[in-house]
Amino acid sequence: MRSRRDLLKSAVLGGGASVVAATALGSLGPEAAFATTAPAIEPGTPDPNFAEGRIRSIKENTLLVLGSNMVFHTIRVVDGTSLWKLGPVGFDQAKPGDGLYARGVRMPDGMLAAEAVWLNIVNIKGHIKNITSQTIHLDHNGHDVLCHVVAGKSVAIHSESPATSDLSMLKVSQHVQILGAWRPDTNEVDIATVFSPH
Amino acid sequence: MHGIAASQPYVIAVFLTWAGLMKLLSRRMRAQAGQTALARLTGAARAVPVLRLVGLVELAVAAALLLPPVHPLDGVAAALLAAGFLAYLTYAYVAAPTSSCGCLGTHSRPVDLRAFARAGVLLAAGLVSIGAGPHPSLAPLVLLEVVILLGLSAELDRYWLTPSRRLLVRLRRPLAAPPPRDVPLETTLHLLRRSPAYCSASARLTSDVRETWDEDGVRFVVYGADERSAVFAVPLSGDDPAAIRVALVNEAALA
Repeated sequence: MRSRRDLLKSAVLGGGASVVAATALGSLGPEAAFATTAPAIEPGTPDPNFAEGRIRSIKENTLLVLGSNMVFHTIRVVDGTSLWKLGPVGFDQAKPGDGLYARGVRMPDGMLAAEAVWLNIVNIKGHIKNITSQTIHLDHNGHDVLCHVVAGKSVAIHSESPATSDLSMLKVSQHVQILGAWRPDTNEVDIATVFSPH
Repeated sequence: MHGIAASQPYVIAVFLTWAGLMKLLSRRMRAQAGQTALARLTGAARAVPVLRLVGLVELAVAAALLLPPVHPLDGVAAALLAAGFLAYLTYAYVAAPTSSCGCLGTHSRPVDLRAFARAGVLLAAGLVSIGAGPHPSLAPLVLLEVVILLGLSAELDRYWLTPSRRLLVRLRRPLAAPPPRDVPLETTLHLLRRSPAYCSASARLTSDVRETWDEDGVRFVVYGADERSAVFAVPLSGDDPAAIRVALVNEAALA
């Protein structure tokens, strides 16, 4: 692990021995940004490389997921897959009952080889009804959502300023957008980021 | 007992007058009539005339309650109106759960427990007032009931509930927390996403954050980029996105 990280470090910082097949730059230049072409998907058809739903069962590295349209997906998670649950997590954090969005490559047998999996991720807008000890009571279209501040993880972004872990600027009755992780089968959310317009 | 019954017409009259005047005079309320549950019940085109009609009936009943002679029919009319109000709330709750009720003013809050409690109290007051005779009313009781009903009115929250919650938050500072020892990852990612390095590499990224670690005041963030990895080096101090560097590394070739 150490040596791998050292290699990645020297690749990006340019120090140490020369690294094969690495492009270490401040940025890659505009041609790189447009290098990949848009995927060819017919308008109106579902994206085959995407899946959403809730985990029914987990077997070794495979997730069996029931989509909200009652379609089953089998999703394989490998070493290179990124998993998100209020931040990057290991595969052991995926639990039956978790909701997920997954993106990857659809295999010929119908299995989705996941490149990225986001567990329980939610993005909700609403206004702050009340603020109590480390929680924000959000009114989202008349539904109460209890949003928990997680120490060391939750941040607030006020307008264009840098993300700060100080959330005490938030005010009752103001409008916010909250990106976070849903606690399955509750109306509660752990906050990743609060976006505030001012 | 007689005093309690005799007090109710005043309580009901206060609320019916408020409701009636709002329906007849508030331009905003008419403008928003299309978004209330009433529009769902009567059709959007008839929502405003029905709103006006209900307002007139409410004012008429309020006048009958306040003006002598005291007649049991006054209470019956008030109770019927409150019962209709309760039935309408139930309809709104079932048929148009996201619409506001549009009863006593403009707000976008859907029907909730407080709205039912208010309608229930008004219905109870109406029923009690049927038996009202020519007795003096109890002013403190009228005041108490009005305050309770006002407290149940979501229309008025912004005048007392929101300011008092704001004051409490300012005094208690419930979200104040000691600054964390480490920079939260989201702070790093927010800076990263605005950096030229990330913008130039983003089209090649195929995964979200796979791995991250801190070393020598630099946070390393690894993304997948097809068979390769995109490694970003983000200085933990400072907020200049131009200081962020990126490398695309073929880890298989390194091994």
